[in-house]
Amino acid sequence: MTGDAAKAQEVFQDTLREAAFHSANQEPPDRYWFFRQARWRCLDVTAQGVQPEVLESNLADVSEHAPEQIAHLDPEQLAIWISAAPDPQRSALALFYLDEFSYREIMSMLELKLGELAHAVAFGRREFQAWLNAAVPAPAQ
Amino acid sequence: MKRLPRGLRALADCAPIDDDAACDRRMRAAISRAKKRKKDFSRQQAFDQAMAKLVKSTPVPAEIAEWFVNEKLAEGAKRSWRSTAGHPAILAIGIALAVIAVVVWIKFDEQMHTFPGAAIAKKLLTVASTTRVSQFGPVKADAGTLTDLFVMKYRLEHYDVPPEFSQLRAIGVRVFDDDEAGRVAQIGVAEKRMQLFLFPARRDSKTGQPEEFQGWRFLEQEGWTAAVRARQGVLFMATVRGPKKDFAAYLPKE
Repeated sequence: MTGDAAKAQEVFQDTLREAAFHSANQEPPDRYWFFRQARWRCLDVTAQGVQPEVLESNLADVSEHAPEQIAHLDPEQLAIWISAAPDPQRSALALFYLDEFSYREIMSMLELKLGELAHAVAFGRREFQAWLNAAVPAPAQ
Repeated sequence: MKRLPRGLRALADCAPIDDDAACDRRMRAAISRAKKRKKDFSRQQAFDQAMAKLVKSTPVPAEIAEWFVNEKLAEGAKRSWRSTAGHPAILAIGIALAVIAVVVWIKFDEQMHTFPGAAIAKKLLTVASTTRVSQFGPVKADAGTLTDLFVMKYRLEHYDVPPEFSQLRAIGVRVFDDDEAGRVAQIGVAEKRMQLFLFPARRDSKTGQPEEFQGWRFLEQEGWTAAVRARQGVLFMATVRGPKKDFAAYLPKE
């Protein structure tokens, strides 16, 4: 979400501190509270930093070679790419590929409708494939 | 190849990365149809699985990892049944349901114990509580023998005091007309200062037959209790100032 491990760690610590404060006040946060809080803090932190250049998005159909292309990536590269995406696409992709939540839970956490979530994820796939094609060219047929 | 409907296409775009993941019926249907109709669905699944694998391989800094040595620290505290029951909304609902249940039970109980002529009996119970001995014409006879008096002097047939109360010593009697009850015979009894009433049973508006019921029925009102029985179109009511158990010596056990 932030594309920066140090910022992410700071967000994590702050969120954890607030969760502890809530628990101490007999207000146990619900299951998704932590993720909602962390999301807003990430968005806040990234809004204060240097903003990525807004480029015209390139789209490409998901390739059959995508798994091999993705295998060549470092996790940091994916994190940086996702952190540069506009929200709510950024949050949707982060929560979707975290593979911890159902689509209903993601919709609830991000307050999105099904169509909006589907668009964010599907569009993200095609954009990432376009970037992937440029960064890690598919092996020749 | 047919295109997927819009709703199912949206669901298929958000299909869980793991095929075995628990999902709802609509999502299962969308996945099933996407596998048949969406040519690149298998590519999408392979793409998502590769992405999720990459995300899972993200190294976690040691400072953060140590927080999860005991994962329960990050788990939201579960509400115990006590704290759930103590929640004001739950309490309010519980109290409301209890009040409704009590009202329903009272109404049900009233319906179970009501009988034709209950309203008139209640009215006469009020009469009993306000009647003074001086309002009676004096008599000195067993209550059971007053049947002849009612027939001969007032032409009231079947105004019979039941055997359970016929041996009681009457100290006074009167007959009066009531708007609702009709001709009412009232007998004052020395024992426990009881009062006995005889009045016509309510008649069915369609058939004209008196509405009767089996056995003894009881009414309680403002500290007074009445035992009522119907026979031959006439209701007999014994009243006493006190609880229902005061009739225990006179009436057969239920």
